[in-house]
Amino acid sequence: MPGDDPESAIESYSVELRFRDGPTERIEAPAGETILDAAEEEGISLPFGCLTGACGTCTARLLEGDLDHKRPPRALKERHREAGYVLPCIALARSPCVLDVGAEVQSDLVSNPWK
Amino acid sequence: MSDARPGGDPVDRTDEHDHTGHGGPGYTTPQAAIEQSEPEKVAYVMGLYVGTDVDAPDFMGVVDVDPSSETYSEIVDRVEMPNRGDELHHFGWNACSSSCHMDGLERQHLIVPGQRSSRIHVIDTADRRNPEIENVIEPEEVFEHDLSAPHTVHCIPNGEILISMLGDEDGDLPGGFLALDENFEIDGRWEPPGEIEMNYDFWYQPRHNVMISSEWAAPRTYYPGFDLEDVEADNYGQRLHVWDWEAGTVEQTLDLGEEGLIPLETRFLHSPESTHGYVGAALSSNVFHFYDAGTEYRADPVIDVEAREHDDWDMPVPGLVTDLLVSMDDRYLFFSNWLHGDVRMYDISDPSNPRLADQLWAGGNFGPSHPIEGEREVVGGPQMLQLSLDGERLYWTTSLFSSWDNQFYPDEAEKGSVMLKADVDPRRGTMSLDEDFLVDFGDLPAGPARGHEIRWPDGDCTSDVWQ
Repeated sequence: MPGDDPESAIESYSVELRFRDGPTERIEAPAGETILDAAEEEGISLPFGCLTGACGTCTARLLEGDLDHKRPPRALKERHREAGYVLPCIALARSPCVLDVGAEVQSDLVSNPWK
Repeated sequence: MSDARPGGDPVDRTDEHDHTGHGGPGYTTPQAAIEQSEPEKVAYVMGLYVGTDVDAPDFMGVVDVDPSSETYSEIVDRVEMPNRGDELHHFGWNACSSSCHMDGLERQHLIVPGQRSSRIHVIDTADRRNPEIENVIEPEEVFEHDLSAPHTVHCIPNGEILISMLGDEDGDLPGGFLALDENFEIDGRWEPPGEIEMNYDFWYQPRHNVMISSEWAAPRTYYPGFDLEDVEADNYGQRLHVWDWEAGTVEQTLDLGEEGLIPLETRFLHSPESTHGYVGAALSSNVFHFYDAGTEYRADPVIDVEAREHDDWDMPVPGLVTDLLVSMDDRYLFFSNWLHGDVRMYDISDPSNPRLADQLWAGGNFGPSHPIEGEREVVGGPQMLQLSLDGERLYWTTSLFSSWDNQFYPDEAEKGSVMLKADVDPRRGTMSLDEDFLVDFGDLPAGPARGHEIRWPDGDCTSDVWQ
């Protein structure tokens, strides 16, 4: 959103947050701000835990678009990353994105191995 | 902020540790705790919303456990944390019976860590039914010491507090120990870095200058949930570490092998003379007895919980021994089989040969889903245990860890945990479910919550240590 203020000249992207069994919200995520922070600023609560990429509580699935993790997403195994799982607490949008979000997404990562 | 009161009445403790007329922490001996304690009236219980769509912070619940009260078995107060996302889990007192030489120190402050957030809260319980948050150590201050994922809290006899930390600042290995000073500020790392890789629970026996710690895994491994791939990759623990308590160094490491996968809760007997203790290997579903064999510590499996066939499961269901405790009189060992759904009581009068005294079923995969007729469904199994100081009332909650609950008891997120209670007869070695007691964590204003560790204001069987 270009403007007179150099701060507001920073690129931002539209991010669609599709809550499982819930509403779809749309936020504007500045390129330098995590998706979790950008959502919080717009009054939208996403689940989170460690805020360092270790715990996976915030796990979401990227359905469309590009994003980068600003530090290694340690909670995600390679099979999760290949399947599009991302961590909004450390994720920076690099294009307009669509994300599958909500507390339930985390439970996709592992299931009961004996059942 | 310190609970030390240098200006308080001086008490002569050189004479048999006399506590008479003194309001300081703890009791002279474990037997004194049994004789002198009043039955608990409130319980402090960790309550969690992390990892659910309930938009609320975790809380410490104050549960009325006084049968003569009008609000018996209700959550009468909730101390909300200042932030969401903590995963309150284990917690502990600023002082216990081991602080007997610290004149004027009181058991008044609870140290309440966030397992996921690495934030550490200090709660003042001066008003027992309305405790208040007094101080918060933010995660960034913890990360500065290259530690994260705070777990067990034990006070140490000089007024300081020791916390086992399961990871480094990235949630990877190695973990370590963080010391807080008596003003509840970070004092620094307790041990020289590099003594251990994995960490979990610990217990110390100061008279023998020994501490034993156990192993879960790196936070990045266990945080997202339980993955068999990590077991195959040796990412889960199977060792006990025997420490020189004064020096803070590991003197011996015991590899428990395949029978000892994921050794969690670690309990020495309460007698300060004892060098015996137990640890529950959760994944292998075995209880190990550890002891000083003269020149070294040894650990032997003494209880093996057999996996059981279940029609809905492809593989036999392991018991999953997730918590265990020793009664204050050191006569009984209690443990929970979270996946099976039972609590067991063993006579440990011969520590290397525990004898099953009684067993009680409530919830889980094999116990009754409505253990109390007419009451709500129990969707988890018995998990965190706490026993009254007199050994006559055993309480438990049903949540293990938010992400692991989601795998094994997914309904717990929607329906919330319960807290249940058994009446124990420590003379006859029996337990019976109290059908008048059920605390429903599913029925709270913000939404259904999980319930985890339990503590009493006047000390309990999983925190008090004697010098």
